[in-house]
Amino acid sequence: MSNRKLPRMLQSPAVILLLIWMLVPLSMTLYFSFIRYVLNNLRRPEWTTPSISNWRGLGNYEFVLKSKDFLFAIQNSLLIVCSILFLTVVLGVLIAVLINKSFPGQGIVRVLLISPFFVMPAVNAVLWINMILDPVLGLQGIAVAGINETVAGLRNTPLIGGFFSLWPEFNPISFRATQTSAYAVIMMVTWQWTPFAVLIFMTSLQSEDQQQKEAAILDGASAWSQFRFLTLPHLGRPIAIVVMIQAIFHLSLYAEIEIVSRGNGNKNLPYLIGEFANNNIGAASATGIFAVILANIVAIFLLRMVGKTLME
Amino acid sequence: MAIVAQSSKYGDIGRAILAWAVGLLFFFPIFWLVLTSFKTDADAVKPEFLFFFTPTLENYLNMTENYDYWRFATNSVITSVFATVFALAVGIPCAYAMAFKPTRATKDVLMWMLSTKMLPAAAVLYPMTFLTKSLGLFDTHFMVIVVLMLINLPIVIWMLFTYFKEIPKEIIEAGQMDGVNTWGEIREILIPLAWGGIASTALLCFIFCWNEAYWTVRLTTTEAATLSKLIEGNRAPEGLFFGRLSAVSAAAVGPIIVLGWFCQKQLVQGLTFGAVK
Repeated sequence: MSNRKLPRMLQSPAVILLLIWMLVPLSMTLYFSFIRYVLNNLRRPEWTTPSISNWRGLGNYEFVLKSKDFLFAIQNSLLIVCSILFLTVVLGVLIAVLINKSFPGQGIVRVLLISPFFVMPAVNAVLWINMILDPVLGLQGIAVAGINETVAGLRNTPLIGGFFSLWPEFNPISFRATQTSAYAVIMMVTWQWTPFAVLIFMTSLQSEDQQQKEAAILDGASAWSQFRFLTLPHLGRPIAIVVMIQAIFHLSLYAEIEIVSRGNGNKNLPYLIGEFANNNIGAASATGIFAVILANIVAIFLLRMVGKTLME
Repeated sequence: MAIVAQSSKYGDIGRAILAWAVGLLFFFPIFWLVLTSFKTDADAVKPEFLFFFTPTLENYLNMTENYDYWRFATNSVITSVFATVFALAVGIPCAYAMAFKPTRATKDVLMWMLSTKMLPAAAVLYPMTFLTKSLGLFDTHFMVIVVLMLINLPIVIWMLFTYFKEIPKEIIEAGQMDGVNTWGEIREILIPLAWGGIASTALLCFIFCWNEAYWTVRLTTTEAATLSKLIEGNRAPEGLFFGRLSAVSAAAVGPIIVLGWFCQKQLVQGLTFGAVK
């Protein structure tokens, strides 16, 4: 066998499998997005089977663009992804710098910190929404009730009682509600992915140039300027990678949203597609194409940013 | 000078305390889950911070009865193991060719593979359901294995590629001189040399398969349903069954957390494709 054919042959199973995986369902989505296709319609039974004679052109896209949920879903997708990215990167850098210097029990703290990353998303969501954030039975409810009780007790004490009587009664927040469920999702995913950011930043910090740092200390540089002018630039590449990998995962967030509120007040694009797919396949497919376009915009942007460093 | 040394000593203590506090804070939800799993359902819903109680194993002993836990766990093990094995079987030859016999297209192929990861799964939700149903593969282990393998294949190939790249080409070429064919090269030279890298790739792939919660939920009902599906199906117990739900959740994530502890370092290298060391 020639030297040129062999590498191709070894790569072909993987390439062909991924090509099929990418092209077959995606071209079906594209096709369905241009026809009228619903699962149940008593008046127009011919729409329940996919057929080119049910051509609708851009009608599904128009329908999706006009639906009130679509813009909201895009905004919400971006809100969730951007908040998580911001929080995990900031917390990740701070925690990585904090635990990078050796201290007693560093290994154990590392193990404690990384654990949330391995929790399966379904368990993460069930645990947070029920046992932590529930306004009555969860830790949030218990904590709020405890604070209220303490404040009520302090109101009757002499001297400081007057101060505490100004305090309002706190109300626990229901995170299954329309306005707040997105924050619950942001919280639980941040909890899960901050460890990932910490782990990567820590690994990167260990390769930081120590001599440069010592020189800076001798020059009398403050801790802040060391961080600002040495550590932060050094973390540039890892931050870009953390952002890229997380964007891939969080744009398709689903289980958490389903479990927290069944999408009530908190739909992202994948969730909206799932809802449309209960009946209106045409609309679900058009939304899917929008999701692909959005993912591509993000991907091009990210690969430009990180791709080169990966290839060194 | 002495003052400086002393103040930095206090700084070190403060830093250590803060670090421990952050570590414990992040671990606390898992701790609380495990703690709740040892409470009776009645204790679990008491609205107070209940740290001292009579622990019970009841929730764990009744997992089969309450949730049919072992059937879902078996499905998770079967699908994750086979998906990992197949991903490696396809990925190792591919990564070998890319690392040792690169062509001009290799970089583009790698980038393209990564880009398939960015395709939102939901965009192909209905076609996948449609295809699996019309092929009679809905709710079968086979289909779950195929899908899990495909969604993890890009990461497996990337990870293997970064590990293989570190092996000097000369070692592989020396094998060629001795007249070993390609399969022999892979089996007798590459795999023993890159054993550590292959093992951590497998471990990470297994973890991702185990935790996957989109396709495993959407393409199964009962026969091939995994632990993700089980938990998702019991998402809102309204306080009634916190104890037993905690037990089954802890049993679902426990083994993976322990596995994860052992492969932290490899995780970094793998997930950043060797770009952070």
